[in-house]
Amino acid sequence: MDNQYKVVHCTINGKEVSQIVDVRASLTDMLRNDYRLTSVKKGCEVGECGACTVIINGESFNSCIYLAVWAEGKEIWTLEGLTGPGGELSDIQQAFIDEGAIQCGFCSPGFILTSWEIVNSGREYTDDELRKALSGHLCRCTGYENIFRAVKKTMLRRLGKNEEAELVNSQGITEYPDPMPFK
Amino acid sequence: MAKTLLMAKNAAEAIDAKIASAAFLAGGTEVNRLGSTVEAETLISLKKCEGLNSIKKDGDKVHIGSMCTFQDIVESEDVPAYLKEAALFMASRTKRNMATIGGNIAARRSDSYLLPVLCAVDAELSLLTGDLEESKNINLYINEENDDSLITGITVPESVQVASKRYANTAQSHAVITMSAASTAECVKLAVAVKNTGILSFNLSSSGRLTEEAAVAFFKNYEIKDIEDDMFGSVDYKRYLLGITAYDLCKQLIAESGKEV
Repeated sequence: MDNQYKVVHCTINGKEVSQIVDVRASLTDMLRNDYRLTSVKKGCEVGECGACTVIINGESFNSCIYLAVWAEGKEIWTLEGLTGPGGELSDIQQAFIDEGAIQCGFCSPGFILTSWEIVNSGREYTDDELRKALSGHLCRCTGYENIFRAVKKTMLRRLGKNEEAELVNSQGITEYPDPMPFK
Repeated sequence: MAKTLLMAKNAAEAIDAKIASAAFLAGGTEVNRLGSTVEAETLISLKKCEGLNSIKKDGDKVHIGSMCTFQDIVESEDVPAYLKEAALFMASRTKRNMATIGGNIAARRSDSYLLPVLCAVDAELSLLTGDLEESKNINLYINEENDDSLITGITVPESVQVASKRYANTAQSHAVITMSAASTAECVKLAVAVKNTGILSFNLSSSGRLTEEAAVAFFKNYEIKDIEDDMFGSVDYKRYLLGITAYDLCKQLIAESGKEV
């Protein structure tokens, strides 16, 4: 039996596209092979490591186990779509650099996209919720603390809590100053 | 590897297309993964099926469409807390956005996230086989090998006391055991998923007091088919874990309800 192909119409990083794909192809394959969006990494291919994460209609998905044909009519964002027109980094990308949350860089695109979903949600996550929200990603280099701190600081800054963001210590814990002693 | 993909528009279309060499494809976390054991010439995608992703409350029951994702369950105000807790056993948010309740049941995995809790509360499945719509207790369903039926919905009780535990090396690892205990009027119903072994169910009567020693001794000697040493632990370890977990869950139910087991 011949392979089956379909045309997929979707929006990738703000641009409307159409592409003929093998119905069995994963979205990872389509994004990497047809659009050269190589920030979408092929890691475990079982949906565990999160390196292939993309944003589909505002939510993060493992694109390695998501069929390309399911993307019909969807709005997809990859890491390449986060940078500005002149290549300027977004706040979450910059925070990953500033906090040393990147080492080999393989997991970073996935982490950044899930973090992007978190900071775009407009709500303040507790430390526990933040750790759980990031738990779909595996990083073998950083030990997670720097990543956690980058996301937490960006979340606080987006919520207008710049001073609080500066109080986040190296372990990611917000260290409030001692209250003023009574006079 | 599948060669064709059919995108069903509704449950009737999906069941019409179901032949022996075809398999249903729900969220894709099981079927699309590398090394999947699902072998089919044709995959019938349920992704665009209408009417399978709603959550409705009906008195003391909650009806959940089979294509509701784990994240839909976590976010719904109508889903009982015990089922949300089990859905959160899947630690990855990105996976929860994809995996469906129907797919998790139909996969019948020995490390299933949801089967223990659904078996413990005696969930009812709405099934479609050919033109026939039927309702079946999940405990009967998982012991059958009829893969031609399509799960269209799951009905769970709302006000039942449930305690659950999952043991795995990490939040992302496969669990060695996932156990749930549900308190009913007559007994406590235990259901457990044992990795590489299967789903086991037990009814504990409310006569006599359960002790930790008694629970450990029970599972030490209980005949469990296919249990063996593997990378998840030795048989002795698994049996011990079953015993102390059963005891812990019952103790938790007693503390919450005041009822003795």
